[in-house]
Amino acid sequence: MARVNNWQIGREMSYWYPEARPKKQFAAVFDTNKCIACQTCTLACKTTWTSGKGQEYMLWNNVETKPYGSYPLAYDLKLLDMLNGQAWNGNKYEGQTLFESAPAGERVLGWRPEQQDYAYPNVGEDDCANQVDHGAFLSLPHMNWFFYLARICNHCTYPACLASCPRGSIYKRPEDGIVLVDQNRCRGYQECVKGCPYKKVFFNPLTNTSEKCIACFPKVEQGIQPQCFVNCIGKIRMAGFLNKPEEARADNPIDYLVHIKKVALPLFPQFGLEPNVYYIPPIHAPASFNRQLFGPGAAEAMKIYRNAANDPDLAGLLCLFGSTEKMVTRFRRQGDLVTAVGDGGADLVRVPMHETVHIRPAIDPMNQLVRINIP
Amino acid sequence: MKQSILLLLLLTAACSRGPKMVNEVVAVAAAKLPTLPADSAWDAAPEHLAALLPQDLVEPRLATPSTPQIRVRSLTNGSEIAIRLEWEDASKSETPGPSKMVDACAIQIPEKMEKDLPEPQMGQEGKRVQVTYWRADWQATVDGRGDTIRDLYPNAAIDHYPFEAKPLEKGSDAQREMALRYSPARALGNIRSGPRAAPVEDLIATGPGTLSPGPSLGAAGKGVFAAKGWTVVIARKLPEGLSPNQRTSIAFAVWQGSQQESGARKMRSGWIPLVRRNQ
Ligand code: SF4
Ligand code: SF4
Repeated sequence: MARVNNWQIGREMSYWYPEARPKKQFAAVFDTNKCIACQTCTLACKTTWTSGKGQEYMLWNNVETKPYGSYPLAYDLKLLDMLNGQAWNGNKYEGQTLFESAPAGERVLGWRPEQQDYAYPNVGEDDCANQVDHGAFLSLPHMNWFFYLARICNHCTYPACLASCPRGSIYKRPEDGIVLVDQNRCRGYQECVKGCPYKKVFFNPLTNTSEKCIACFPKVEQGIQPQCFVNCIGKIRMAGFLNKPEEARADNPIDYLVHIKKVALPLFPQFGLEPNVYYIPPIHAPASFNRQLFGPGAAEAMKIYRNAANDPDLAGLLCLFGSTEKMVTRFRRQGDLVTAVGDGGADLVRVPMHETVHIRPAIDPMNQLVRINIP
Repeated sequence: MKQSILLLLLLTAACSRGPKMVNEVVAVAAAKLPTLPADSAWDAAPEHLAALLPQDLVEPRLATPSTPQIRVRSLTNGSEIAIRLEWEDASKSETPGPSKMVDACAIQIPEKMEKDLPEPQMGQEGKRVQVTYWRADWQATVDGRGDTIRDLYPNAAIDHYPFEAKPLEKGSDAQREMALRYSPARALGNIRSGPRAAPVEDLIATGPGTLSPGPSLGAAGKGVFAAKGWTVVIARKLPEGLSPNQRTSIAFAVWQGSQQESGARKMRSGWIPLVRRNQ
């Protein structure tokens, strides 16, 4: 095992291979507060990539209702249980990562889902965290909560899938950090399925190979965001490239949200994979639950997001989510106008932060009629 | 007196029924190589009992030993060699799926007959080993199992395959081409990705993790599962230079699907002498 730096856990850690960061790292921010669980992303991915034979059960993109939803069943709870509650000290994780806690003879601490674990794509859909008592009515803040967690492969900096494969069939592209299974080299041992804690590699029983999210690399190569991003109804997603914390740029949208504002956080950073999909935590879920999912930065991130109305750069950048199908590599704000800039430096789209609102009075004075809203 | 006669009778009976045991694998000359495991031609070959060890040299290792031994017989017609492997297995695992591994076995022979043997664990750089590998699910396909998800999961519900929708004609090139778009392993020609015409494949390796498709050695095979376990025949070209009474080496590996064995998680032997005899 090599020693590598993992900024998400604030320390060095052991990994199967030496640190080899890509030239650019594909990364994304998902705003959980905006997801409506329409599953359009799931379908966009399914129809594009996994409509084939042997792929029937695969969801490279899935959206689960937290706290109960999980696909495959209890993927997260099982591992948290195996890690057995370890400690953070401030922003430093003092517990063991999945690589450091690998049992003798194993490369990674992992488990492999049974086929029936894939039979519940979203158990507990729209179920809230506690019983709602008889006679209860809606009040604020909500006495109960749930939220939607959209998930794809995290194109991790230290992929456990890659470390698990004894054949080296999984590789991380040096040009953009996208993690792929070489479909010619894979022999279907399912070690990666066992190793990935997010369970984002799937075994195809008809081709005898393991398959996973490819971050729509043919689109990314042309500067276009993946299918689940551009089809997102809630406009919760933004894809781009992330720099190391010490090289963060304030005008790079992903750097800004992750490194500068620290409003977007990795999912289960304690696993040690340095995942590259970052989540703005749901502000109506308890901070303790958010901490379990997103690490020690969760409470602060919730505060920053709540204050976005007083933070024009943050609010402006959030307005760019879902505003263009192109990958946004830079952004700038001038007054009320936010501009997304593409890879070549050209402006992609300009979005006003406030749109003019016209309200028609309920009574039409000329005709002396009550107006009826027709959708 | 009566007792000793009985003992003698029992002993003779045991000797005439039981196979002749040898401490190396002996490939006996046969005019025609049997393709079926139950062929009586196998009676002519002595049996070698090969002890298996868990693969515990490289990660991931096999934590719990399973198949302790295999029974091996061999025949050769002078250009090809056939090996029959038998091992006990309480459950037939021939359906692949998530967390569903399949039964398999393999033979390994050094590419060159040299004094210095390659590492028994998949060979080494500069000393390649030839591996002939058999799998239970491929056998099921060759024996007639279809190539759809319903053949593996009879109750599977399928919404829709875009390549089976109009206006694409059933069986047309356009349909096949579109189906391949959703099957990258097949599109790339990964020999493992089926559908299979043979239950075995020819492979080559230069160490753990290097297994790759090898030059064709005409691999053929047939596996049959019975109450006690598997009997599998693997045939391939005779190792180059293996003249009568000469020796090379052979090693074996067995995977039990029910024990989650696949890839590096296997039971394997060390090198065992393989000798060619004229009778
Ligand atoms: S999320 Fe899983 S499949 Fe994706 S790169 Fe990380 S370990 Fe690999
Ligand atoms: S398309 Fe967007 S809003 Fe709809 S479920 Fe997916 S992530 Fe959520």
